[in-house]
Amino acid sequence: MREDLAAMDITAQLAVASTPLAALWLARAGSSEANEAICPDLPATRAALASVPLAALELPPPLARRVEGFGLRRIGDVLALPRASLGARLGNPFVIDLARALGEMVDPQPWFVFPERFEQGLELPAPVAAAPVLLFAARRLVAALAGWLAARNAAVRGIECLIDHGHGRTTAVPLAFSAPVYAAARIERVLKERLDVLALSAPALVLRLCVQAAEPREDRSHAMFDGAGQRHEALADLMDRLAARLGPQAVQGLACHADHRPELASRASPGQPALKAPATSLPPRPLWLVDPPEALRESHGRPQRAGPLALVAGPERIESGWWDGLDARRDYFIAVDSEHRWLWIFRDPRPPCGWFLHGWFA
Amino acid sequence: MNPTLAHVLERSDIRRGDAFAVAPAPTLATGFARLDAELPGGGWPRGALTELLTEHGGISGIGELGLLLPALAALTAAGQTVVLIAPPYCAHAPAWAAAGIRLDCLRLVFPRRPRDALWAGVEALRCGGVAATLLWLDALFRAQLPANSLRRLHVAAGEGGGGAFCFRPARLAAEASPAPLRLQLDGAGQCLRVRLLKRRGPPARQDILLDVTRPAGFLQSVSHAVAGAVLPDTTDTRRRNRVAA
Repeated sequence: MREDLAAMDITAQLAVASTPLAALWLARAGSSEANEAICPDLPATRAALASVPLAALELPPPLARRVEGFGLRRIGDVLALPRASLGARLGNPFVIDLARALGEMVDPQPWFVFPERFEQGLELPAPVAAAPVLLFAARRLVAALAGWLAARNAAVRGIECLIDHGHGRTTAVPLAFSAPVYAAARIERVLKERLDVLALSAPALVLRLCVQAAEPREDRSHAMFDGAGQRHEALADLMDRLAARLGPQAVQGLACHADHRPELASRASPGQPALKAPATSLPPRPLWLVDPPEALRESHGRPQRAGPLALVAGPERIESGWWDGLDARRDYFIAVDSEHRWLWIFRDPRPPCGWFLHGWFA
Repeated sequence: MNPTLAHVLERSDIRRGDAFAVAPAPTLATGFARLDAELPGGGWPRGALTELLTEHGGISGIGELGLLLPALAALTAAGQTVVLIAPPYCAHAPAWAAAGIRLDCLRLVFPRRPRDALWAGVEALRCGGVAATLLWLDALFRAQLPANSLRRLHVAAGEGGGGAFCFRPARLAAEASPAPLRLQLDGAGQCLRVRLLKRRGPPARQDILLDVTRPAGFLQSVSHAVAGAVLPDTTDTRRRNRVAA
């Protein structure tokens, strides 16, 4: 617990007692780790309380003045007085508090409710001009976030990292994850990639982490020897880091789309592509598509590309798309050039007629 | 044979020049029996860099990907992920699916800067969750890949333990490379000619001709006929081949 607190740069004074109130007072009275009060049972608590100054009770000022007027300095002095007259002179709440601290009365506590949203800021000790340096400060916030997530058994898909430059100017660095994450190390790795490529417009003064929505953590049971779960996790981590550094558009999946026009039959799918049954009845299609199609020279009525092309199969007429303005009517051929490269070429029969290279059978 | 010499030859760290390494690294079956027989361990190496050299800067249409497709199809069928780094053209999904690749196991990465491409390659290779990584780096680097990058890729592949396939220009065949397996690929009509430039084992004596999947039957006579004269008359076949929208 001390290590976690130190990681967040919080100084704490710990105290252990049999009742919550006694622990609070003892903690307030303590001044360093050395004189920490550890009272495992009621008599020990009572003994420890006797030496606690009344200032630790943080009484309301009028009451504090009256108690001081009586010449009482420590709780031990109060306990020496008859309880009934104490109630008559200082009011019942004071006596009840005393009884609760001593364990003579029950002291019900409200449950601690964790905040629904996470938002935590950190003022930097000095303005920071280089984004990568921010990672060090961000670590503390990420640790707090991981604690917040652990307490709620939650995970996040997105984190907003705000860099405040003062004068109302902020830079928002949204972090997106392909799958819900909760481990501080993973969040840090993605944050590092983002900060590494970030150029700050002005020195940063305050760093802030916000989470708008958390979702329940999904724990899958891991096989002991298989390692499929680990592989899955490693892959998701890799994809998040690639997307964070190269931009979300730079990492893509691939999916088929039902369209006869080749350039529309294949689509990039960000994230998890839906597996559609591909049309299997199609004639052969090239693995690589040249986009946009490369115009080919024609000589003696035959397409040329570093020498004449030999047409091996075709034509396959593809005519589609009159309804969306991308009207295409083409005759496709499979061709082989003089270097045994396999090409997918088409001829546009509409004027201006011409041959185009549209793909490679790699 | 001298008993001391026989004893020495039994050691696992001693390899005779005319045999494959004794305990080869784990491999991926290539799907081509004739190629498997020529590769140490009987397949594509895992955890080591493999260089595939072709004309036209490693971006060619001779069937160089067809050489890898059976292995990649087997990997994705088992739910393992294949990553393509800086592919030279748009991947055409129906063709990859028709080749037996599960598209949901395929990831494409398009780095814009050379430095990012190398970084992405190293990270993908190092990741234990990626079963195979295909790289086309030379185009981005304008054919000036820094000398130590191949070594970085090779070391990263060793950490991740997946297949690592780097497509490179054929003119680099004479250059030294840390990749333990280097193949030069050439088109040969219907077949693909594979020349083993380097492998862990005795030098290969002859090229291998492999039947990679071709989109159509390629007959020498057809090509000559076409090369000789006219375009096939397309008007009457059009109706038959017409694809209804």
